[in-house]
Amino acid sequence: MTGDYTRLRVERHGPVGWLIFDRPDVGNALDAVMFDELERAWRELDDDPTVRVIINTGEGGAFQTGLDLAQLADDPDALRTHARRTRDAELCLTAWHLDVTKPVVAAVNGTCAGGGLHFVADADIVIAASDATFVDPHVSVGQVTAFEGIALVRRSPMESILRMALVGRYERMTAARAYQLGLISQVVDPPERLRAEAQALAETVARTSPAAMAATHRALWGALETGLTDASRRGAHELMSLWGHPDQDEGPRAFAEQRAPRWATTSGTP
Amino acid sequence: MTYEHLRLEHHGPVGWLFNNRPEQLNAMNASMREEFADAWIELDRDPAVRVIVHTGEGRAFQTGVDVTEIATDGVGMQRYRQSVEDFDLHFTAWHQHVSKPVITAVNGICCGGGFHWVADADIVIAASDATFFDPHVSIGQVVALEAIGLIRKMPVEAVMRMALVGRYERMTAARAYELGMISQIVDPPERLREEAQALGETVARNSPAAMAATKRALWGALETGLTDACRAGAQELVSLWGHPDQDEGPRAFAERRAPRWVDPTSDRA
Repeated sequence: MTGDYTRLRVERHGPVGWLIFDRPDVGNALDAVMFDELERAWRELDDDPTVRVIINTGEGGAFQTGLDLAQLADDPDALRTHARRTRDAELCLTAWHLDVTKPVVAAVNGTCAGGGLHFVADADIVIAASDATFVDPHVSVGQVTAFEGIALVRRSPMESILRMALVGRYERMTAARAYQLGLISQVVDPPERLRAEAQALAETVARTSPAAMAATHRALWGALETGLTDASRRGAHELMSLWGHPDQDEGPRAFAEQRAPRWATTSGTP
Repeated sequence: MTYEHLRLEHHGPVGWLFNNRPEQLNAMNASMREEFADAWIELDRDPAVRVIVHTGEGRAFQTGVDVTEIATDGVGMQRYRQSVEDFDLHFTAWHQHVSKPVITAVNGICCGGGFHWVADADIVIAASDATFFDPHVSIGQVVALEAIGLIRKMPVEAVMRMALVGRYERMTAARAYELGMISQIVDPPERLREEAQALGETVARNSPAAMAATKRALWGALETGLTDACRAGAQELVSLWGHPDQDEGPRAFAERRAPRWVDPTSDRA
């Protein structure tokens, strides 16, 4: 089903699926069509057995700049749907919203503003071009920041997120500062090498057991839902979920035999 | 309202709160503790104030409870037993549910109970010669509330180390910046108030109603799991729908002019 996207590009390179925001003329802003296409693209890549890891990036000078309010104002049905999903906290924009089981790497290629922070907050791994910037202008245009900031304060020092949310459009965080804070784990310089580095990173991640990664993913994101002791109890179930799975024997055997492991194939939805 | 151990000032849209016991390194005695409760409420209710900056006079920002008073007044920590047992405290902006953005500007030593105002502020900046340490366990006291707040806002190991090494080590402003405990170092240190005022004026350009709801959403995220926090955050998002600021913001942006926000005090009524 690849190819019939107009706001995104979905590509495959080896074991890596790419989900690329493709509205470069408007900073890749989210319009009604992109809402629908995002939901479809995440599911397509998650269900594709040839895809082990997903990279999310943008075309042009911006990564993602949030809602295209001008377009949505002309599309009352889409606006109503989005309003309902916002009110009910049932957005379908990111891999986390859609329960994607495969590792997701966000590769921030430029400006990441406002609602664009959803895709940083909800990714597993985040890397950025050295000229990428992060800014949250919501309060400067009379809007509230909630979901993006709520997830971000759980994965990076909170003061920096509060500052970004309250200073608004008047200040930008650099990729270098985002790296210091642990909001991202890699700065790619020169920026043109971002996609090559993202592909290399994703191929590295793709060498690990898909079943083990999916259970690890559930255990660690689950840790954000509860207190430490409860999260550890739930994590214990994820650990045991792999007992008896072929990958758990294959991994040590391949290591001992000094060869690449042959993992059991999984599709995204078990 | 007049204060003996604090000073309040207004500069433009910024309300200033000074710890003003410089001879005692701004240590908090019983009456300063009571003054804090009133000062936060006064600044939060004052319609002329959009943003609050909190700093200290002299070479310390804050050094926690006045240990001399504890040791000599015959009442000691017992004075505070009930309020601590009930967790019924009123000396930080967070305790007092302040709805306006709070910037802590650390002007020098911040130690022990001084961390309350770092943990409970929205934005924290510091002079380049500011230092941070937590001597509680070195004088036989427990660290709890300040550190509990801090480990939810920054890397845990750094907070545990400070809590357990006690008075024998100091964290520099540079390290606090690396760790994301603070977001700005001011050098030379003498420029701290000027930079805090500038930052306060920048924040004051944003919608008061949107900032208040954003504060509730993000601080609320420390209370529950991620999914529940998003559900609660959704209510904060929706709370601004239909509010004039939500239309005024995009309109002002399109018309390339400064937005005219609703007065937050009329909002409150």
